[in-house]
Amino acid sequence: MAMKIGEKPFFDRVDDALDDTFMHQSMANAQDGLRGKKIAATEGDEAIGDWEDWRSAGEEIRRHTLENLDYYLEQLSENFAKRGGHVFFAETAEEANAYIQQVAKEKNAKNATKSKSMVTEEIGLNEALADVGCQVHETDLAEYILQAEEGDRPSHIVVPSLHKNKSQIRDTLKEKAGYSGTDQPEELTAFARSQLRDVFMNADIGITGCNFGVAETGTVSLVTNEGNANMVTSYPETQISVMGMERLVPTWEDLDVMVNLLSRSAVGQKITTYVTNVTPEVGLQSVDGPKDFHLVIVDGGRSKALGTEFQSALHCIRCAACVNVCPVYRHIGGHAYGSIYQGPIGAVLSPILGGYEEYGELPYASSLCAACTEACPVKIPLHEQLIRHRQIYVEEGYADKSEQAAMTAFGIGASTPSLFKIATKGAPTFAKPFVHEGSISNGPGPMKLWTKIREFPAPGKENFRKWFKEHKKGDS
Amino acid sequence: MSKGTIHNRDKFLSHIADRLGREQKTDVSRPDWKYQPQWAVYQEKTSDELCALFNENSEEKGTHVLETTMDQLEETVEYVMKTYDGSPMVATDDERFAEFGLTDVFDKNNVHIWDAESGERNIEKAKQANIGFLFSDVSLAESGTIAQFNDRNIARSVSLLPTTYTAFIPKSTIVPRMTQVTARIHKQGGDGENISPYINFITGPSNSADIEMNMVVGVHGPVKAVHIVILDA
Amino acid sequence: MKISLFVTCLGELFYQEAAKDMVEVLERLGCNIDFPRGQICCGQPAYNSGYRKDAQKAAKQMISAFESSEYIVTPSGSCAGMFKEYPGLFQDDSTWHEKAQKVADKTYEFTQFIVNVLDVEDLGAVYHAKATYHTSCHMMRLLKETESPFKLLNNVEGLELLPLENSYDCCGFGGTFAVKMLPISEQMVDEKVRHVEETGADVLITADGGCLMNIKGRIDREGKPIAVKHIAQILNSRS
Repeated sequence: MAMKIGEKPFFDRVDDALDDTFMHQSMANAQDGLRGKKIAATEGDEAIGDWEDWRSAGEEIRRHTLENLDYYLEQLSENFAKRGGHVFFAETAEEANAYIQQVAKEKNAKNATKSKSMVTEEIGLNEALADVGCQVHETDLAEYILQAEEGDRPSHIVVPSLHKNKSQIRDTLKEKAGYSGTDQPEELTAFARSQLRDVFMNADIGITGCNFGVAETGTVSLVTNEGNANMVTSYPETQISVMGMERLVPTWEDLDVMVNLLSRSAVGQKITTYVTNVTPEVGLQSVDGPKDFHLVIVDGGRSKALGTEFQSALHCIRCAACVNVCPVYRHIGGHAYGSIYQGPIGAVLSPILGGYEEYGELPYASSLCAACTEACPVKIPLHEQLIRHRQIYVEEGYADKSEQAAMTAFGIGASTPSLFKIATKGAPTFAKPFVHEGSISNGPGPMKLWTKIREFPAPGKENFRKWFKEHKKGDS
Repeated sequence: MSKGTIHNRDKFLSHIADRLGREQKTDVSRPDWKYQPQWAVYQEKTSDELCALFNENSEEKGTHVLETTMDQLEETVEYVMKTYDGSPMVATDDERFAEFGLTDVFDKNNVHIWDAESGERNIEKAKQANIGFLFSDVSLAESGTIAQFNDRNIARSVSLLPTTYTAFIPKSTIVPRMTQVTARIHKQGGDGENISPYINFITGPSNSADIEMNMVVGVHGPVKAVHIVILDA
Repeated sequence: MKISLFVTCLGELFYQEAAKDMVEVLERLGCNIDFPRGQICCGQPAYNSGYRKDAQKAAKQMISAFESSEYIVTPSGSCAGMFKEYPGLFQDDSTWHEKAQKVADKTYEFTQFIVNVLDVEDLGAVYHAKATYHTSCHMMRLLKETESPFKLLNNVEGLELLPLENSYDCCGFGGTFAVKMLPISEQMVDEKVRHVEETGADVLITADGGCLMNIKGRIDREGKPIAVKHIAQILNSRS
């Protein structure tokens, strides 16, 4: 499963999304609801001063960290191991999974609990562990719901089950988990709580992602609202945290800034309900802490962005602020992107991690309105990176041949005034057969798609240049 | 914990350095950041004002706030016990309970004090408890957050498993925001001290908005939260 | 003040009335306007679709056409925004980069020029209608111009300006996006049209040719009784 979602081609996925009325409406509702909260907690919160300064602070920290990534990863791993933890550097998803499978086999682990983590979705860890006889139980409420509905995947990086409504959730839990209550969120949640309590206590392994690794102390920092990261890291004997290699900060002071940016940008909270910071224990063991702690640091294609114009895409802290303002995501939801990373950041990251063959169309799923760039708390120039992807897509020959020809013609036309003059002069005449009541309803050639849903304006009868010349004459 | 290990690091890091177009770095000094807006937040607030903000922000998250004095502390605790279903109850193994004169009221009401030596049994006690009592080490005015430096004695299960967590917040522990806590840890980390293995920031009861964006409390952790603010200074 | 008119390809081909209104407004404000004849299209369609080289060709043509201008003024926030992208197109060519920067620095969108350069907010316009205004993404976010159109429209006598729900959302134009991603673009423009309808306005005003073409195209196709006008047409109105 891993990063890819579904097998259908892009436009079929889009059609499916547009047919799903509930999903369509719920994305819009979520965006509209989150918008006010985010504004109130960011530019609207006078207590924190100028939000732009916070964004600049975030950008500064992320840039420095990525520019010195090797150094800080070394520091992180050194401090983590110094306290008794085990660090595994994995260049690929396969390497990461193989290491984790090995740990599970050594522990003879049958059950694992997991708090929400995108990177474990990305590498397909649940399937890998199932292969060695260890079942992974998702504990984030949304992921729990998706797991119950076998084969369902996240449609949003912060609220993965956003595409499901409460009656669908009720039906799934009825069918798969023996639930017999109503579709009230309180009741559904209470059911999940009661089901998961024992699962937490009896798991052999606890798996988490890593929102931020803190290099100076070898700490894994996790933000949740449910407290499941605390559960997952407290009771199993073995803990495995999986971290995208870019997800670290130099110091605790920097963690402070990043947690603030993340909490406020994601859902408009001043701070998430839990910020859980786990560092391997030194000395006497806690009763409610792991005896064995592994940190798996994954490249998984991220290094392809280093040293390129896409390096700043690795500054991303997965807050989904860009997703929450994207008008394209608003209408097609997450699954249409065909990647667990959706919305603008998904359209930037997926081709880097998964290649243009698979994800090359995603950068075109944007009107380049730049709402994403404006929203990003660490100032990633997302819409510019989408354009850059398109350039590479064209340069590497993926683009449609007829489009290439049209753009070549455009280039010639747009740099040859004499041609343009002929074209503007001729336009009204050429267009004449198609014009009805001042506009074109069924245009030829490139206009055909446009006029499928809209009128195309008829070229003005007058020649503007001629008018201007005469107008100026009249002046003098 | 066993001795730590590191696998595959050299190749991994040298690949990163390659991609960054330079030699691997062995020494980097973290710059003085140009932007540090965090320090200005609530900088001018008095202790009373910070306390009022802490209370207000706690309540906003659905936390029950009780302000009390040292004299009335025991009475307040009794009230909380009665209001939140009393026994079974659990508390962290923390010297401050004695310092604040709470030993008697805990004894009288059979509060189980976490005892690391008796192992797993504690977890069972915490799981069954209606209330868990703990101290906030540092408290954040900005968000009504308690911060705990947990270890084997000051166990995190006490704030996590009972139906209600009740935190004692000496007014003197209230600071503007997370900035002041992380600065302290940064200093510890930088000095090579061993930091607490579990540092938890907790803001009210566990919650989720995963079902149609409806806010529901009590997902995995506590369903209710109580902050007893002690006017100790 | 000497200014050069960058009328844009859409303005020249389709929205000549708006272009003329713009000329008249600026002249009334004492501007001496010229029309550099070498101008064609800013190259945005190619640039945004990933055809950098073809966009460079267009950019060179435009830079040459406007090189000697004092101020460049255009009735499109998006096209003004494209001029600001020119330096980035020539990062590896210092000569053209420098020229591009100079052109970028003296480029203004029409309302931005009036309010920020000429320091005028009341044009003495009269237009009797209930209207709403569509803020274009490129003007708002790339050009960072959010206030000038409202300052000018608020001084139009007889104009009742109604707030537009979700005004910050894109109308779904996005250049080639409008045809390449047709089903998505259709949803976006439909939502925009619905919000416009909900205001009860008779007229939708915008300062961008692309958005105008898109929203008007959909409104007309659906037969909605809402007129779509370029802001210059309102600001030059006297009745």
